[in-house]
Amino acid sequence: METVLSGLATGFAVALTPLNILLVLFGCFSGTLIGALPGIGPINGVAILLPIAYGLGLPPESALILLAGIYYGAEYGGRISSILLNVPGDAGAVMTTLDGHPMALKGEAGRALSLSAVASFVGGTLAVIGLSLFGPLLAKFAVTFSPADYVALMVFAFASLASLVGRNGIKTLLGAVIGLMLATMGIDANTGVPRYTFGIPDLLAGIDFLVVVIGLFGMAELLHLVEQQVSGRLRTLPVDRSFLRRADLLRTRWTILRCSVIGFFIGILPGTGASVASAVAYGTEKRLAGKSGDSFGTGDLRGLAAPEAANNAAAGGALVPMLTLGIPGSGTTAILLGALLMFNVQPGPLMFTQRPEIAWGLIASMYLGNVALLIINLPLVGLFARMLTLPQHYLTPLIAMLAFVGVYSIVGNPFDLYLIILLGIFGWVLRKLDFSLAPVILGFVLGSLFENNLRRALSISAGDWGILIEDWKSIALYGLAVLVVILPAWAGRRSARAAADAVED
Amino acid sequence: MVDRIFAGLLLAVTLGYGWLAFAVIRAPFQYDPLGPESWPRILSVLAAICLAGILWKPDVERFDTRGGTWLRLAAIVALLIGYAGLYEPLGFVLATLLFGTVAARLLGATLVRAGAFGLATGVLGYLLCAGLLDLNLPEGPLPRL
Repeated sequence: METVLSGLATGFAVALTPLNILLVLFGCFSGTLIGALPGIGPINGVAILLPIAYGLGLPPESALILLAGIYYGAEYGGRISSILLNVPGDAGAVMTTLDGHPMALKGEAGRALSLSAVASFVGGTLAVIGLSLFGPLLAKFAVTFSPADYVALMVFAFASLASLVGRNGIKTLLGAVIGLMLATMGIDANTGVPRYTFGIPDLLAGIDFLVVVIGLFGMAELLHLVEQQVSGRLRTLPVDRSFLRRADLLRTRWTILRCSVIGFFIGILPGTGASVASAVAYGTEKRLAGKSGDSFGTGDLRGLAAPEAANNAAAGGALVPMLTLGIPGSGTTAILLGALLMFNVQPGPLMFTQRPEIAWGLIASMYLGNVALLIINLPLVGLFARMLTLPQHYLTPLIAMLAFVGVYSIVGNPFDLYLIILLGIFGWVLRKLDFSLAPVILGFVLGSLFENNLRRALSISAGDWGILIEDWKSIALYGLAVLVVILPAWAGRRSARAAADAVED
Repeated sequence: MVDRIFAGLLLAVTLGYGWLAFAVIRAPFQYDPLGPESWPRILSVLAAICLAGILWKPDVERFDTRGGTWLRLAAIVALLIGYAGLYEPLGFVLATLLFGTVAARLLGATLVRAGAFGLATGVLGYLLCAGLLDLNLPEGPLPRL
């Protein structure tokens, strides 16, 4: 407890400097704007703005505060296009459309927006409290991890990714492997041997992280937008004057609290982020509601509050493994992790003690950010809603311009401009084939960490693979990995059988 | 079907990747039990197994993209390649002006509005990014800010 309080004191000392307050506000505001754009979610927003944040020459903690603000701000803003337009910005906001849009159709858009803002605020804030409490504990424990344990942890991360993300586990796993393979390009740091560089000098240092992120999440998104572009504008429902009532909050308070907790813990699981959390929370609430759960999907308040609380809580929860273990909990935190690496900061168990200004500064800024989001979201929602009417034919070239500025100004090599286009086409094809892109970036970010720990572990044991299952921590993690693969499959089969039985009756 | 084609292509790439890992990459000397080739070997085997799974049980039959959309996608990719090619020779302002105008027009803006948009992104984008944020952008033939 004492470490938490002194840590928070350090954190607020960092977060309350004028520059950082400004960055929190700016990050949250622009994050909400970006999240409100139809079709653009937190991961694309952070990807496109990452190089610009990097190029500003900020110290690492300030840059991280800004990027994290954009991240959870966009998580907040995603609900606006879900409710008013029925177009979710990303997978995490899909569940919000189920009850949010019907409410807007009934003329209760204002009520839906304000309730979801409060649910998001509670989810986000509880997650930051959880992060402050669990982060240092986990970090303390993780200091004792050996390279072999890290290998086990990575296997667990990829196992939970494959079993929980996407519809096809094989494709998710393959996506992660593609990311890992992309990460092997360039000179091997241990021996100096070039791998997969084909004699091209531009590839000697490997593919730049920024290039992969902007290619897969900026350019692929751009192609997706062009493909989806429907003739004329999407029809936006107006924000009306209806507002949250006291009774609404009383009715949904347990839903919000429950789903915040669910979201936080699912967010902690490495690899799984807001999309899984909001789906699980929605399903749980629907089941708990029993008979009255039939109104879910027709504009039920609980059905709106549940996924919103959960996905914002998951956004905070996903930061726990990223800050304490150096293993990101979601695609977007993988990008934040990459951003830290660009600043030569290695996230991991030692960050809480060695770079407290970064770990605690970020946490403290998130307390401020959540309050700021609630305050700017309640009155200004009409302004954000106007982003929905930004025509696609301006949005698309703007994304290209930002992507080019980012890549050119940071990497400074025209060769990389072609590379992002190529990666964009590749990412677009992957999306068309039902691959999710988050595992690719996760694999890319974790590639060298995974390989180096494996090599280090085997160097310690002089080549004996037995070291990987020597420690109880590794064995426990492999056990968890097996569980996380088996349990959902088992539950899925059971519910399928239950459905079949119901049909026979 | 498209699933199988894509998996087949990736399999070819993976086989190439694996061949390099198994036959070519080698450290001149090393002390560690695992060299630079071990990790790519593991990955190539994993990828091959996953790809075999997809070839066995594909789940996406075809792209539901229609003819006109393909054309528009091809056009935007061509535009992006052109933008990349002109980025350094023409400089940010002119290249963005051209790209913004043509892209907005292609995607459905009227000619006048597309032109205004291109001009605005080129000039304002430069002032904001190079002037205010101090980022490094190509200048091209135009005089320095």
